[in-house]
Amino acid sequence: MHLPSWNVLIQVIIIGILTGGVYALMATGLTLIFGVMRVINVAHGAFLIFSAYISYWMFTIFGLDPFLSIIVSVPVLFLIGLIFQRFVLSRVKGDPGLGVLLTFAMALTLEGVMGSLWESTGRSIRTAYTSEVLAIELSGLTLRLPWVRIGGLVAAAIALAAIYFFLKNTNLGRAIRATIQNRSAAQLMGVNVESVQALTFGLGLATVAGGGALFSLIWTFNSGSHEEWISKMLSIIVLGGMSSLPGTFLAALIMGVTESVAAVVMTSYLSPIVFYLILFLTLIFRPQGLFGVRIREG
Amino acid sequence: MELLRRWWKPIALLTLLAYPWIYRAPYYHLLGFNVLLFAMMATSWNIMGGYTGYKSLGHSAFYGLGAYLVAVAANELGWNPLVSAPFLAVIVALVAVLLGWIMLRTSGSAFVISTIAMLLIFRLVALNLREITKGAPGLSQPLPPWSPEFSRMPFYYYILFWLLIALFISWYIRRSRFGLGLVAIRDDEGKAEMVGVNTTLYKVLAFGISAYFVALGGGVWSYFTSHISPVFAFDIIVGVDMILMTMLGGLGTLWGPVLGAFILVPAGDFILFTFGSNTIYLAIIGGLMMLVIIFMPRGILPTIAEWIENRRAPRIAHEGAHSMAEMYDQSKGKTVAEDESSHERTASH
Amino acid sequence: MSELLHTDRVSRRFGGIQAVKDCNVSVQTGSITGLIGPNGSGKTTLFNLITGVYIPDEGEIFFEGKKITNLPPSKICHQGLSRTFQITRLFWEMTVLENMIVPIRQVGFRSLLGPNMFRYEIDRAMGLLERVGLTHLKDEPARKLSFGQQKLLEFAAILMADPIMVMLDEPAGGVNPTMIRFIMKLIQDLNREGVTFLVVEHNMGVVMELCDHMIVLDQGTKLAEGPPAVIQINPAVLDAYLGT
Repeated sequence: MHLPSWNVLIQVIIIGILTGGVYALMATGLTLIFGVMRVINVAHGAFLIFSAYISYWMFTIFGLDPFLSIIVSVPVLFLIGLIFQRFVLSRVKGDPGLGVLLTFAMALTLEGVMGSLWESTGRSIRTAYTSEVLAIELSGLTLRLPWVRIGGLVAAAIALAAIYFFLKNTNLGRAIRATIQNRSAAQLMGVNVESVQALTFGLGLATVAGGGALFSLIWTFNSGSHEEWISKMLSIIVLGGMSSLPGTFLAALIMGVTESVAAVVMTSYLSPIVFYLILFLTLIFRPQGLFGVRIREG
Repeated sequence: MELLRRWWKPIALLTLLAYPWIYRAPYYHLLGFNVLLFAMMATSWNIMGGYTGYKSLGHSAFYGLGAYLVAVAANELGWNPLVSAPFLAVIVALVAVLLGWIMLRTSGSAFVISTIAMLLIFRLVALNLREITKGAPGLSQPLPPWSPEFSRMPFYYYILFWLLIALFISWYIRRSRFGLGLVAIRDDEGKAEMVGVNTTLYKVLAFGISAYFVALGGGVWSYFTSHISPVFAFDIIVGVDMILMTMLGGLGTLWGPVLGAFILVPAGDFILFTFGSNTIYLAIIGGLMMLVIIFMPRGILPTIAEWIENRRAPRIAHEGAHSMAEMYDQSKGKTVAEDESSHERTASH
Repeated sequence: MSELLHTDRVSRRFGGIQAVKDCNVSVQTGSITGLIGPNGSGKTTLFNLITGVYIPDEGEIFFEGKKITNLPPSKICHQGLSRTFQITRLFWEMTVLENMIVPIRQVGFRSLLGPNMFRYEIDRAMGLLERVGLTHLKDEPARKLSFGQQKLLEFAAILMADPIMVMLDEPAGGVNPTMIRFIMKLIQDLNREGVTFLVVEHNMGVVMELCDHMIVLDQGTKLAEGPPAVIQINPAVLDAYLGT
């Protein structure tokens, strides 16, 4: 363990915030899905990788920029989510542990399919602007920030603002929020919970498709990477209180910064343990996270 | 039929005892060993996941820990793995009891997720404690002293012996008051606690016991393969296999996990041989698991039992009910319950 | 008469709602005490506080002179305090007889490892089932019983733990008049055999006839108490029920 200089530390924190923004977009869908369905979608990481592969394909085959590939991946994942909830997940009732097992099985299936399609080689997208860096002089400090990271944060912020607007101002958005707050009351007020659930799952996967496009620009991935990423996203939403969107956003920033500091303070080999420990300890000792309510099923 | 019911156990046992002499090719010994190993571990998982209803996805943590303890003890202290494994597994069971003590504050999906997190922590620690585990490349241990052509037979009989013990324990628990309490916890934990079942103690003990045979399996496996590394020792798929076998055969039944292992281990080998690819194997077991959860969540044995039950004259529960017990409900008086349950949602101790 | 149970200024809040506030109630040994109050007055919350489902924010609870405030529900059951639920809770996958065997008061390691049904337990269980008229259903899964039968089974099962005091949450809720009669008779018989009762009930006829003492809750605190005849004409009580 060693302590970095101030110069490095500030740089690392800013990178952490930029990363955290992308994390927020990736984890938002997970929060929405848990909020409405009370199911932890363990396949979220696999869907993230899957949409990153779509971006990768769009880029290598058609030369489509990852920022633009969302026109393909968002509708595709939306549909998959709709179908998965409507025909698969909705059949499991009662035991919430079973829902986790089912989505976990989905993740394995997807991992297997992706591994067969794209092999286990690590993939990443290198665009013309991938290694471009923004250098800022700040009273003697030089900050070097990769443009993809900045673009990632901006895109994530736009997407999150759109989701926020959607939830606040549309009927479906209101129905979703009502279902999150009180399922039986929402049902009494005439919300068709079945279709809200299906649409929410679709929406949740659509957001992860957006996250996946940014993801493919920044990180290297293969079919097995979902395990690492689902634990990151889980620790974010658990810390954020499971069904609270502002909580998720804040927790994502916290985890982004924590991770990037941990990577320089510890060996980068060991740094993921920060996520695992936070996930483990939060679940057990503060299941309500930073803000939200306690995870209670039934 | 009656004859079969009475004699199938001795017949099955004799068949298993004779098997390595009938099928003498090394592959068959490997297959036999794997079937018995997974039958034992699935039986063990079932005590927690089936009887108690707490489905752990992280039992590979105990498998890996058992494997490493046995390997390190063999290398550093010269302990014979087949002797040390049952004792070292006790240590793992104690670790599980300690972890269980804190993890079993959670339930439902939070519990499942916390077991995944536990496994990932174990794996990462194994990767990083290089002085002990030699890190990612892994750890070798001495080969068994007996001649290689015959090398798998002792393992086969050894694990058969422990499978029988595990089955005995599973059977004994199910018919003890302890087991009744576990099933009560699965049905309605709050109610069980309320009628005097010390649910924390029961769950923690069940968790420890269910870790024991998995750890033992890991220890034997590490000697069997003679080389272990964190990625394989702490592979989540090992735990998934146990779950899938149990759920396919019959969750919470005595023989279900065994049946599941006898079906899935050969099937898994068949898939690996046919496609020669790990990823297709993953896709298939993932898909199979989804199918089992959706269409047959109780597994083969209970489904068959129900089918037989229904073919016999279907008895109606209320038939001949007492006059005063006959009545029917009008309403269940929901109003107060409703505001009570919304309290509960925001409540925390 | 001596005091069997009492709560000393017990409070519990949920988020912004003060469900129970500075609540003092006491139950005399050998009594059938009624606990009434309008919807949301905190009756069920008080039940949950006494049986250890919730831990009070403030205040203490005593049973037989011993403090039980922070004990887990199972320990409280071992002390001899059992309850039923407003919405019947049984072990649905178990048979009727198994449902009878689960409740226990004293457990050592020996009995933990013993068989799940001792002969004497079965005899006792069958005796109690006989009393509620469910003997012939002993091997049926609990989920197959009718609503009324489930209610009786829940009642009979908690008696297996040999309780000193039984708390009933709406024993007459949702059952027909014949069944109500039967349950009332059962309560009175058991009371004569020495079991103390604390009963939450909405059906005023039942409460008035059954109870020898009544406690009225309103907005989480005790509004009044006394014999049924006195409570019936207490203006504050009438106000609480009709006023708002």
